[in-house]
Amino acid sequence: MRKIVSQSCRIIENRRLDKTGLYRSLRVTDFKAARTVHPGQFVHIKVAGCMDPFFRRAFSIADYDPDQGELEIIYKVIGKGTGVLGQKTKGEYLDILGPLGSGFSRISKSKTVVIIAGGVGFPPLYFLAKRLVQSGHPARNILFFYGGRNRADLVEMKRTRDLGVELTPCTDDGSYAFSGFVTEAAAARMEKLEGKKTTICTCGPEPMLAVVQETARRMGFSGEMALEAPMPCGIGVCLGCIKPSLESPQKYVRVCHDGPVFELGEVKL
Amino acid sequence: MKPDLRVDIAGVTLKNPVTVASGTFGYGEEFADFIDLDALGGIVTKSITLKERAGHPPPRTCETAGGMLNAIGLANVGIERFIDEKIPFLKKLKTVIIVNVAGATVDEYVEVCRRLEKAGHFDMMELNVSCPNVDEGGMEFGVDEASITRVIRAVREVTSRPVIAKLSPNVTSIAQMAQAAKEGGAAAVSLINTLVGMAINVLDWRPRLSNGTGGLSGPAIKPVAVAMVHKVSRAVDIPIIGIGGIASAEDAVEFHLVGAHAVQIGTANFIDPGTSMSVIAGLEKYLAQRRLSSIYDIIGKARI
Repeated sequence: MRKIVSQSCRIIENRRLDKTGLYRSLRVTDFKAARTVHPGQFVHIKVAGCMDPFFRRAFSIADYDPDQGELEIIYKVIGKGTGVLGQKTKGEYLDILGPLGSGFSRISKSKTVVIIAGGVGFPPLYFLAKRLVQSGHPARNILFFYGGRNRADLVEMKRTRDLGVELTPCTDDGSYAFSGFVTEAAAARMEKLEGKKTTICTCGPEPMLAVVQETARRMGFSGEMALEAPMPCGIGVCLGCIKPSLESPQKYVRVCHDGPVFELGEVKL
Repeated sequence: MKPDLRVDIAGVTLKNPVTVASGTFGYGEEFADFIDLDALGGIVTKSITLKERAGHPPPRTCETAGGMLNAIGLANVGIERFIDEKIPFLKKLKTVIIVNVAGATVDEYVEVCRRLEKAGHFDMMELNVSCPNVDEGGMEFGVDEASITRVIRAVREVTSRPVIAKLSPNVTSIAQMAQAAKEGGAAAVSLINTLVGMAINVLDWRPRLSNGTGGLSGPAIKPVAVAMVHKVSRAVDIPIIGIGGIASAEDAVEFHLVGAHAVQIGTANFIDPGTSMSVIAGLEKYLAQRRLSSIYDIIGKARI
């Protein structure tokens, strides 16, 4: 099998997705994945060539076209790494390693998929919804709940609706669409669904994931969540990005290598 | 003509001097997707202890200027699971396997090594007498000459394989520690382990690592490591394995020039899993360009 090596990829776009420019979509070309790319997996990007910042930065894959080698990440500018990335322009090159980590499991076409995205947890779930629709999963059975603190946190909604899925935007402050936490909107809908015929896929801030995990347990739903963590290596060796296991909190799982996609109920949040 | 990269460490031939440092390469299998493991000069495993260890709670790592701090806390599967689950993979590799061993007491080191010796399928042991992050992680041995000598001597009783002592830079005289290791019967020394460091978050005034302090590694520590390898090479006549911030072939060459017979790639494995491969290719090119036929043509040849 071909080795996964870091690749120098040309940026073809690094555009802002909202008025503030905090949310951005970065697309590169010439990314030749040595393995099949699955939604939920991530790429590890060296954002600067001069060791500052020192570590790579992990970004979930928002879209990938294997024929064109086009890879997209959607990110929010929050710190040093994303700050540097936000300044990159078309024509520059980025050193990218991946795809890394586990993706979401295959989902039977007969199941209803409840997607619960919070803030920057959106990109891998958009990619998941797109791949599901492409593979023939009935779009009407994909219920996409997407929450942010306010309207500005919600990006690429038209693109998501264009997949044909049922999109429910939610804002904590009630400034747009459903007023309240995305977990409340999703739980209300889950009341009307059968646990056995439904799969939950979620990604977002940890407090949100903790609520999803608890709600699913209480209501008898199963599913998976994609976690985020600062990752020095991204390949399972530095043991820096660990989370306690829910079953035995003295044991740890590695977000990068055992995940980032875990079953609901597997990790203590 | 292709330069000869082979080196001899205590009677064990490495196909090239490039090995990978303990704690940065898992148990080897983690890198199979990224590089040809058989191309390496050798693999040093994560530190193995008698009992399985979960390690410290997070946060365990943080980035610094040109490097990183870590306090993992010797998380590892323990000797029994290592033998059952990790050796079967390692034994299939065509590279030198060096098992790193840590312990809280001399007896623990001895017991781990005794079980390893019984299990076989490895080439050398590297004793971690220099982990700065756990009380029982070896550094109490590594900062005291008599203790280093004692633990190595005890381990030598239960193994016929060469024992490497991995030395701490957090001492007054690393040359004296190397002499003490040799006295105990170490066939080689590897240096340096990480330097004790600390970082504070100015927003909440707390240390960035759960352990408080951690070990500093990466390119930031390379000059310290080169100086220490130089010093040790003047003090002992056993082979030295140079470690500390190596990320390129030129970095490795520096270590060789001050006397290292082999090197270990550490933190750079985190930034690019292919680093060891490019160092090997670069070393070969470096020698070829200068019409040098062997790696020995640069070992200890710095004009100092």
